Amino acid sequence: MIPYILQYLHSDVTPGEAGNVFWMVVYVLLTFAGVSIGVIFMNWFERKVMAHMQVRLGPMRVGPHGLLQPIADALKLIIKEDLTPASADKLVFWFAPVCVVMTAFCTFIVVPFGRTHAITDMNIGVVFMVGVSSLGVLGVIMAGWASNSQYPLLGSLRSGAQMVSYEIAMCMAVVSAVMMTSMSGEGTLSMIRIVEAQLHQHVWYAFEFFPVGLTALGVFSIAMIAETNRAPFDLPEAESELVAGFHTEYSGFRWSLFFLAEYAGMMAVSAVAVTLWLGGWLRPFPNWLGGARWDTVFSLAPGLTFLLLAALCVIYTVRMAALRVMRANAIGLAAFGAVLGLVGLVCLLPAVRVRVQDIYWFVVKVGFFMYLYVWYRSTFPRYRFDQLMKVGWKVLLPISIAVVVLTALVGVRDELFAMVWR
Amino acid sequence: MSIKEMLKSFFLVDLMKGLWVTFRHQNPKDLVTEQYPLQRPEISDRFRGQPRLMMDADGKLLCTACGACALACPEKLIKVSSVKDAETKKKVLTEFDFDIGRCMFCGLCEEACPSGAIKLSPDYELALYSREGLQLHRKDLEDGLERKVYEK
Repeated sequence: MIPYILQYLHSDVTPGEAGNVFWMVVYVLLTFAGVSIGVIFMNWFERKVMAHMQVRLGPMRVGPHGLLQPIADALKLIIKEDLTPASADKLVFWFAPVCVVMTAFCTFIVVPFGRTHAITDMNIGVVFMVGVSSLGVLGVIMAGWASNSQYPLLGSLRSGAQMVSYEIAMCMAVVSAVMMTSMSGEGTLSMIRIVEAQLHQHVWYAFEFFPVGLTALGVFSIAMIAETNRAPFDLPEAESELVAGFHTEYSGFRWSLFFLAEYAGMMAVSAVAVTLWLGGWLRPFPNWLGGARWDTVFSLAPGLTFLLLAALCVIYTVRMAALRVMRANAIGLAAFGAVLGLVGLVCLLPAVRVRVQDIYWFVVKVGFFMYLYVWYRSTFPRYRFDQLMKVGWKVLLPISIAVVVLTALVGVRDELFAMVWR
Repeated sequence: MSIKEMLKSFFLVDLMKGLWVTFRHQNPKDLVTEQYPLQRPEISDRFRGQPRLMMDADGKLLCTACGACALACPEKLIKVSSVKDAETKKKVLTEFDFDIGRCMFCGLCEEACPSGAIKLSPDYELALYSREGLQLHRKDLEDGLERKVYEK
């Protein structure tokens, strides 16, 4: 048993490829925990960033700067009564949130946080991601139908139409990126191989065939907002029209499952965008600041980030300790800062930083997309439904098809020229 | 549509402008929210809150018990009682009743007062647990609001 566990530590592939069940389970649990913590953090981050963009403070009371607010919310949701409407279809009503959460978390099976930091490497990784994440719409429709109420039904109808129409543009953009992988040897659909192709070609696909790759990323990043039902495309849960859309009848823990799935889904599609166009776990500026020395410098980044956060905690602790009412908060923040500092120091160790930097760069890039989500939400008003359909079918779809054709043409330009000159 | 407008709509210039506005406002210096019990707002002197009976520098009430405020009050919520001093032949204030529950803080009493004795002060925390507390008597008006300090 123990040799079986230790044996994996010497390999440099994902546990799925190595076929090591123990580490697969460990990775699944770690990913699940990581994503859940990400969702909890996003809850706080979104409220905070949106509040600041609207010149408000946001949560301030539970913990220093509201850091414990998501935990308080979660507790409240778990304690809350879990209602099922009398006329609801009980079984489907029960299964809908499960379905949504399962699809949202399933996609993380193939997300590569690093060369070895993925649960498994599937040779159809991207197709798996897109396919499973589009199954989420089934859960949404089930929720709307099983609630047996007008608003949820209308919400899920909208959601179905929206997700289906944006899926096409999204997949076309994905196809363009997948075509680019074939520029170095064989084309591939595996998430890990796609990042490695970017490594070998010394370019992130956002900058390949400029501006074709960038356009594909643009199309994808608009379509993925619509896919995850976020503002400005949040018509399925437009609160001014539909109360809360498809999850109107849900309360308590089941509602929190929808919440969890929404944020996990956001992270999943952001992870696809990062993997396909922004070089996945690769560090920035590989060409401009190349070489072993710069590799070392960049590998210090995770540790330094944690130390910076710890320093911020220290500054705020000192400020808070001056206020008598904030003393309990200050102690909590000091402890939090100490933990962050410790993590930072551990991340600076040579053996650790080599392993951790992959995850760090991946999370930073995904975090950037999450920030964009929040930014869009606090900036743009909601689209009308016909405008939404217009953007999807008349703008994004033609652009994405054009991107695919252009990628193909630019990719085989040498052969084309050869044919013409001959 | 001119070329310029077309390019503008193609590169989503308006959306970018909107994004820049929200991005800019993240500056913590822009914050206007006050954390009320910890941070107290600065109230203008002209704010009309808790009514007070003013005194002069020697601690003598300015009120001459003329009753002009009671006459001016549109809600008729002020009741001034007085007795005539036998020596000076002047009215002396005995009781001053002010029903703040009916007060709309219009400030007409303040304007009517010839001696500047009644003033709507900037004290603003007027919430109470009982209706009885809304009947302000002479002593309440002289002392003003006592701010309670709550321990955490």
